[in-house]
Amino acid sequence: MVASLIKYARMWASLGRYTLARELSFRGNFLVKISVEILWLFILIAFFSTVFGRTKSIAGWDEWQYMFFVGCFFALNGLIETLFLDNCNEFAELVRTGDLDFLLLKPIDEQFLITCRRIDWGCALNIPMGFGVMGYSLYKIGGPVDPLSIPIFLMTFVSGAAIAYSFMLTLTSLSVWMVRNQSLMEMWWLFSSLARYPREIFVGTWASPIGVFFTFFLPILLVVNVPSQAMVGLLDWRMVGFTLIATVLCLGASRAFFRFALKSYRSASS
Amino acid sequence: MSTLELGAPRSMYRSVRKYAKIYRASLVERMAYRSDFLLGTVLRFLPMITTILLWQAIYKGGEDSTQAGFRLNEMIAYLLLTNISRIFSSMPGLAGGIARDIREGTLKKYLIQPIDMIGYLVSYRMAHKTAYVVISALPYALLFYVCRGFFDTGWPDLLTWVAYLVSLILAFFVGFYFEVCVGMVGFWFLEVTSLLYIVMTLNFFISGHMLPLDFLPPFWASFLKALPFQYMAYFPAVVVLGKVRGQDLAIGLLGELFWAIFFMMLARTLYTRGLRRYSAFGG
Repeated sequence: MVASLIKYARMWASLGRYTLARELSFRGNFLVKISVEILWLFILIAFFSTVFGRTKSIAGWDEWQYMFFVGCFFALNGLIETLFLDNCNEFAELVRTGDLDFLLLKPIDEQFLITCRRIDWGCALNIPMGFGVMGYSLYKIGGPVDPLSIPIFLMTFVSGAAIAYSFMLTLTSLSVWMVRNQSLMEMWWLFSSLARYPREIFVGTWASPIGVFFTFFLPILLVVNVPSQAMVGLLDWRMVGFTLIATVLCLGASRAFFRFALKSYRSASS
Repeated sequence: MSTLELGAPRSMYRSVRKYAKIYRASLVERMAYRSDFLLGTVLRFLPMITTILLWQAIYKGGEDSTQAGFRLNEMIAYLLLTNISRIFSSMPGLAGGIARDIREGTLKKYLIQPIDMIGYLVSYRMAHKTAYVVISALPYALLFYVCRGFFDTGWPDLLTWVAYLVSLILAFFVGFYFEVCVGMVGFWFLEVTSLLYIVMTLNFFISGHMLPLDFLPPFWASFLKALPFQYMAYFPAVVVLGKVRGQDLAIGLLGELFWAIFFMMLARTLYTRGLRRYSAFGG
């Protein structure tokens, strides 16, 4: 088990080195990609700074708590985009052309090979930038940080990334039947747009059930909310526990669905 | 009357007929993907739910019920209306397509046929927009019916409707020619995709798609209102909300017309100059 984990970690590192070398051979493009991400972060900050110029809080989150939330979303989204988005995007094309055959023949776990093959280094800077925003927000909030909240934050941050990955894997698996996945990627964008706001905005007769549904049934609202709340809000142990259970269930269910989808794969070759 | 004078209207008529045929063919092609269009439109409605909830939370946290001249209902109506503005002004794939034609040499298809590239692209885009407006009319009508409570300023008068329609049509031309200009940069730089990403990301904010420009500090609001990007989202929305009237409305529409003509002329100049540099190889 440990030897296998080491083998996969080494393989991932090698794939990472290879994609970095490839990316750096188009340095100009790489630098512009990074500039776009920096610009997007500045736009988000400008947007919420403007908003907080006119309001004191959004659904109980004050300015710097909310900025921490924005930083957490930015880092988490950056992590998913760096590691998985490009790979999942390409899956439908592998199915359509039949090139998936070559990956299935390799003596490596299919899920690992399909979803971790490439690292999009152009998005990698989002992770430290997001952590930078979180760090600055914590500084602005002031006061001592509860030492317990840091490991809880890191644990729920990883859990959030795992839940988001599970949703992406499930949507990707559908490509086996649908072949074209443009709408699926639009669905992913919709999922991530749900994760970018605090759970507390879902109030009222029609919004409340939506909030409950996306917290407890399709738990996309846990992804950013729980780690952010663990660090700058009230630590709710029940939500932390539920997030960890949801992570295990989502990872297991998405893997089972992925393997089921692969069984339905009929090669495109003649 | 000389033959030249008689020939000019005939040649113009032939030219209009030619581009009208391109429009018709493109429209038929676009309508073939109507279900994809419809699905895309419906999916795009869903983030509006979170946007509405976010702004409700923002107004709840503020002390004033009116922010930068917008009440909560007006704010949500504005955000819904910017989607209509974007239907007209956004041109997905236009600049990238032009740059690709230049890079890969497929631009020559316009050079060896009696078709002007910009004329062809205008006809094609108009067909695309017509198809989009026709197909998305029903879901949008449903959306606006469901959200009718947010439009509490009363039914706009006829003049406002006319001004709104004009502002949307001009938004199409500002958006179209602006993107054509960005695509033409491909004559000088082979790779413009990255530049395009920067422009589009920035445009999302400075066009007022995320929030009304009036929310920004006065200097930035005035600065951005002097740029053409406001016409791609902000301006048509505030026109129909009745926030721009009388002299300001006339000045705004003239400004929009100015930018449409400016980008049209710039696109033509860049195309003419670019063609002088352009060279295509291969069989």
